[in-house]
Amino acid sequence: MGFIEENEKERKSFVRKWAKYVRTHSDKDWSKQQNVIINSALKSANMTREQFFKMKGETNFVKYKDYR
Amino acid sequence: MKFIDKKTIEINRELSELDKFTLDFVKILKKYTNYVLVSGYVSILLGRARVSEDVDVIIQRIDFSTFQALYKELKKNNYYCLNAEKESTIYDYLSNNLAVRFAKKDKTIPNIELKWVKHKFDKLAIEDTIDVKLSKGDLKISNLELQIAFKEEILKSPKDLDDANHIKEVAKEYLDKKLIQKYKGMLRGFY
Repeated sequence: MGFIEENEKERKSFVRKWAKYVRTHSDKDWSKQQNVIINSALKSANMTREQFFKMKGETNFVKYKDYR
Repeated sequence: MKFIDKKTIEINRELSELDKFTLDFVKILKKYTNYVLVSGYVSILLGRARVSEDVDVIIQRIDFSTFQALYKELKKNNYYCLNAEKESTIYDYLSNNLAVRFAKKDKTIPNIELKWVKHKFDKLAIEDTIDVKLSKGDLKISNLELQIAFKEEILKSPKDLDDANHIKEVAKEYLDKKLIQKYKGMLRGFY
C-alpha cells in the first residue's frame, strides 16, 4: 500500500473512531476536546480579505454562480 | 446528543467560538427571514473534529427594504460584508445568485457565507429543517439525509466524504437510509 492509500485509510479510521466516541460519550466530554481544535485554529487565523478570497478562489471578491 | 424526534436534536455541548459566532449572527438574521445552516458546519456542530473558516447559510429571498434593515442591524452589531460595502451592491450579488460573506469587524475568519434559495434542493433544505437545541439558543440545520446525499453524490472531496461518514455514525440509529438513496437519485438527475 502506498503512502497516499495508507494516509487515506488512517484518516477514515480516525473519523470512524472519533464519531463513535462522540456517540458514546457525554456532549461536554467530546465538545471540550473538539473545541481545542476549533478555538485554537480560529484564534490563530489571521488573513486579509484579499488573502481570504484568493484562498477560496473567489475572483473579484465574489463566487461564481454555480456555488455549493 | 439526544435525537428527540425527527425534527429536534438536543446537544449539551460546550460551545465553541464558531458556535457562539453562528448563534450571534442567526439571532439577528432570523428576525428578517427563514434560514437553514448547511454543509461543513452541520457536521462540526454534531461533533466532527475539524474546523471551518465559514458557515454556509441559505435564506429565503427577501426584498430590498428587508435587506436594508437586516444589513443595518448587522452593522450595528459590528458585522461587515467582505464582498462589498454598499447595500445595493450586496443585494445585487444576492439577486444574481452569488453568495456574500459577513464577519466581525477587523476579522475575515470565521465568516458567514449567505446565499438565497436557488434551486429545488435549497428549497428542500430550508423547508425540512432540524432544530438543534444548544445551551444559548437554537440553530436550524438541514435534514441530515440531504446533507449526506449531497456530500456523497455531488461534492465527493475527502473532507466532504469524511463529514458524511461522521454524520452517518453519530446519527446511525435515526437516519432514513432509503431517503438518502432517494435524494442521491434526485441529485444525479439534477446535476
